[in-house]
Amino acid sequence: MEVTVNTTDQVTVFVIRGSVDGLTAERLLAVMDEQVNGGATRLVADFSALEYTSSAGLRALLSTVKRARSLGGDLRLAAVRPQVLRVLDLSGFTSILKLYDDVPAAVSSYA
Amino acid sequence: MAATPASVTRRVEHPARLENLGLFLGFIDQACAEEHIDSEASFALRLAVEEVCMNLIRHGYAGLEPGPIELDFEVDAGVARLKVCDRARPFDPSQAPAPNLHDDAMHRPIGGLGWHLIKQLMDRVAYRSDAQRGNELILEKKFQRH
Repeated sequence: MEVTVNTTDQVTVFVIRGSVDGLTAERLLAVMDEQVNGGATRLVADFSALEYTSSAGLRALLSTVKRARSLGGDLRLAAVRPQVLRVLDLSGFTSILKLYDDVPAAVSSYA
Repeated sequence: MAATPASVTRRVEHPARLENLGLFLGFIDQACAEEHIDSEASFALRLAVEEVCMNLIRHGYAGLEPGPIELDFEVDAGVARLKVCDRARPFDPSQAPAPNLHDDAMHRPIGGLGWHLIKQLMDRVAYRSDAQRGNELILEKKFQRH
């Protein structure tokens, strides 16, 4: 899994490539935590290149959503692939997270 | 048309350590690729392997010397069958508490989704345990060849 961080219009975008699983979820969480610790609370996860997630990935997402929302911000998802979307849906995450078709739409949602 | 023959059983066994998770995932990925299993079923099987192995690594063998996880995989008549054998503490998946899927984000507990996802994504889940032979979990998933 690769994760890169960039900032657009004061929104922090995590671009995640590959698979988030029991081996990689902690690293993703650490990257997101570092940004929140640095004051970033308007967050977007770009899932366009995320091929797979398990419950480990869901834990990292939920932990970050809780932190961001407690600080008045949020973590929103962009471009979720169908099979990852199915996992989010089965877990009830599609009703508690905001999802957008693409990164520009997710970034604009904070405007 | 000739019937598709049942495949041979593929098997892998490693100690239940986090650093071996990649070996279990690699096993199921390769098995699904060799059997030309469709992407949706492959995704589900990979997730099931991960969730089962992580449960054994983090809970089943917790506090014990990590014992073995043995995965057996075969396909027959459009059904992929995964058998997971271990000698960890028995845990019947029917006893796994159902997650509350309706709490809002701030009240949702972090965790508790593994067995829920397995049961939702697999077509059949069967479990038995006895002191002599250990624990055996059977997971089945219908698939299409691509």
